[in-house]
Amino acid sequence: MPATRTNGERIVGVGAMCVSNTGERLVAHALGSCLGVAVFDPVARVGGLLHVPLPASTDDRERSRGRPLEYVDTGVPALFRDCYRLGASKARLRVAVAGGASAGDATADGFQIGKRNLIMLRKLLWKNGILIHAHDVGGTRVWRTLSLDLATGRVWLRTPDREGEL
Amino acid sequence: MIDRSDAPAAAQAPLTVLVADDSRVMRAMIIRTLRLAGIPLGAVHEAADGEAGLGILASEPVTLALVDINMPRLSGLDMLARLGRPTARGPRVIVVSSDGSDARAAQVMEMGHGFLHKPFAPEDLRDAVLRALDAPDHDR
Repeated sequence: MPATRTNGERIVGVGAMCVSNTGERLVAHALGSCLGVAVFDPVARVGGLLHVPLPASTDDRERSRGRPLEYVDTGVPALFRDCYRLGASKARLRVAVAGGASAGDATADGFQIGKRNLIMLRKLLWKNGILIHAHDVGGTRVWRTLSLDLATGRVWLRTPDREGEL
Repeated sequence: MIDRSDAPAAAQAPLTVLVADDSRVMRAMIIRTLRLAGIPLGAVHEAADGEAGLGILASEPVTLALVDINMPRLSGLDMLARLGRPTARGPRVIVVSSDGSDARAAQVMEMGHGFLHKPFAPEDLRDAVLRALDAPDHDR
């Protein structure tokens, strides 16, 4: 699903990402077990947001071939690559992450997708020498909305209980 | 839990660091995290047990010490007890332990040190170090 524009915001749906240097606002709504990964280079003023639902493309190679943004292990590299194409530098990119919630206890959440998404992301970032700048992850049945303002680089988080800068 | 860091470490003078842990992998992970976090590092010393750590503390101008509790020869807590109460001129200390009980954390903080529970995410370590470096002397 491509990113869609609404009221001056670009909504990044499940399995989509948007990378831009035009100062718009990117939003990923209702992150449950999905991850929202926001990156921003404050010097190049380039950033992007990925809304990714599943951990590993290797779990379903056939399906994943045409849908790299639906998997953390292929979507996150694509997000970084597109930022680099617009002039971002790895050393300057600041990474913010939200999501990765559990659907319930072990019975209700046998696949532990949220947890596996986070593990995959951490492995990828560690292997590539990148630390997360800010995060709000995990929990049970938590719905988060993550937005990135590309004009300022500020990242905002909204949950049913609170709203504020991440 | 919201967690964030503005990582102001780059403005600091290079730190002389001691990493005391009997796991070589854990020592390597801690040192890599410090480097990735942009924390300015000078000499980085490693110790695989408490006796060796104490020797380094006695002979090197360590400004930041990350200390495991369960180590051979001398535990991290015994090592720190021999070091005495933290002083303004002594190293900032973070105890890194798989014993994450409230009692253990309280004991360590009562000694005037920071505490981090293993396993930890790299960001947790970075934030613990930045907190320790930012803490005024009277809070140590």
